Amino acid sequence: MAHGHRILAAGGTILRPAAALGAAVKTKNQARTLRQSSHANPLTLALLALLLLAAMCGSCMVGAVDFSWGEVWHSAIFLQLRLPRVLMSVVVGAVLSVCGAAYQSIFRNPLTDPYVLGVSSGASLGAAVAILLGLEAYLWGVGGMALAAALATVWLIYRIASIGNRMHTTTLLLTGVCLTLLISAAISFLMVMNQEKMDSIIFWTMGSFASAGWSDVAVVTPVAVAGIGVVLYHARELNLLLAGSEAARSMGVEVERLKRTLLLFTTLMVAFAVSASGVIGFVGLIVPHAVRLVAGPDNRRVVPYSMLCGALFVLVCDTLARCLLRPSELPVGSLTSMVGAPLFIYLLYKNKRSY
Amino acid sequence: MIVLEHIHASFGRRAVLEDIDCTLPSGRVTALMGPNGCGKTTLLRCMGGLLLPSAGRVLIDDDDVATLPARAMAQRAAYVRQHAVTDFDFSAFEVVLMGRNPYQRRLQNESEGDWAIVEDCMKQTGTWHLRFARPAEMSGGELQRVMIARALAQTTPLLLMDEPVSNLDIAHQIETMRLLRSLGKTVVIVLHDLNLALRYCDDLMLLKDGKLLFHGETGEGLTTERIMAVYGVASHREENHIVYDY
Repeated sequence: MAHGHRILAAGGTILRPAAALGAAVKTKNQARTLRQSSHANPLTLALLALLLLAAMCGSCMVGAVDFSWGEVWHSAIFLQLRLPRVLMSVVVGAVLSVCGAAYQSIFRNPLTDPYVLGVSSGASLGAAVAILLGLEAYLWGVGGMALAAALATVWLIYRIASIGNRMHTTTLLLTGVCLTLLISAAISFLMVMNQEKMDSIIFWTMGSFASAGWSDVAVVTPVAVAGIGVVLYHARELNLLLAGSEAARSMGVEVERLKRTLLLFTTLMVAFAVSASGVIGFVGLIVPHAVRLVAGPDNRRVVPYSMLCGALFVLVCDTLARCLLRPSELPVGSLTSMVGAPLFIYLLYKNKRSY
Repeated sequence: MIVLEHIHASFGRRAVLEDIDCTLPSGRVTALMGPNGCGKTTLLRCMGGLLLPSAGRVLIDDDDVATLPARAMAQRAAYVRQHAVTDFDFSAFEVVLMGRNPYQRRLQNESEGDWAIVEDCMKQTGTWHLRFARPAEMSGGELQRVMIARALAQTTPLLLMDEPVSNLDIAHQIETMRLLRSLGKTVVIVLHDLNLALRYCDDLMLLKDGKLLFHGETGEGLTTERIMAVYGVASHREENHIVYDY
């Protein structure tokens, strides 16, 4: 025992000068950055927004039918199909990414996002049931049912996977997988029982913007703006949640109230996004992680950057989905999953020592 | 001043604390001691409002801890956990800066004052050179000192510390205890080293099986008989030092 301690102590003294040297080297570069604003850089935000705007213009111009700038405002394809579709993909991308970032802090787990936890699937089941019941006629009917089902999913996950005030990674992920399987079984069942409405149900499970119209944009956008606003407003407290519930509480965060508020609003956003676009996988996982690589872990930067980068990512994926094999289309979810699933496996591999 | 009024606490059917009733005056360093599993952490969590006692109440400066909002509580008492969370990616500077949360408004950026306090607290605990290090890159002792710095950055009149020196080398243990004494704050600290308590703590709370056996001056509390009764270890006093008879 004592021997072991001596080895550790020796290791410590060997390591320390190197660490000090590293710190000294860093000091030169980082002395200025230590006392800078922890919020997102307005210039970076503006550049990302410009890039997004340019991409939206570009995306509107390409597709199965080409037209020139001059005839844009007279084209029904542009006004009734492409423009709402592009707007919808931007909004959904922002929503899924912000929710992914928020979930990762709330559940204190880098492997969570609305898709992995099964919340998106839950919402899709709710939406499918709403269609079968004929609730499409009401403006908030499908979204409302999607929300109820998604909230039930979150509640189940929270109850099953929380042990004390910690979320157990393995239980959390397995719960998500099981719920996803259960829900897709239920949706298959509904599809077989109601073959005449199958086309519209299949769409929830695959994820697509093909049928996005102005009414979807009108319903989802206000929910997205409100929800993202709430997450941004609590970004610093999200950081503190990462330090653990008890530590967050002792540093002045009303932990339970904060978690309830954020889970409600993020789930609300996911439910409405899913009710408009179906289940698009892994966006909430890919985007925040990519942002953290560049911008660091602070949610005051991660959340706003994820919002813009997520919008851009889903927009590009959807544009590729409708252009790669034109005139036929790929499901946009297959493109995001092709990027997301390998990343998920990489994160599992990287974190495997912590289980 | 902390007043503990007939505190009871239990996990399931197991009673952890039984009728703890005492008053801790301001400005004193109190050692909270006792064998493993005697309820030290539970009592400390009750004092910090992190756990509600099943009966009784905790008053800090005449306010019931159970009714204080988290933010007001965090301006009065800082809590250092026994095990720090390490699985996140903030630098030590950012970790200590989190201690300023109870004074910040939402969406507001940290002020020059916050940064100055953080720098000061990190220098006091000897962790300023670690300011760019991530928790995963630090040793247990370094992390513990960063957590102490975070608690100091909360600039509270009360510090509640659960074994804050358990991973520190002897030099840092002494340095930390001296620092805590010099602050003039009310400190409640869980310790296992009787001599450290004897040397640096004004008062002693001695727990056994969830009951308060002694509360008073450390020198009076740590008698040979009581050490035998609480820990079952034979010892004798040599001047101001406890020597164990192995």
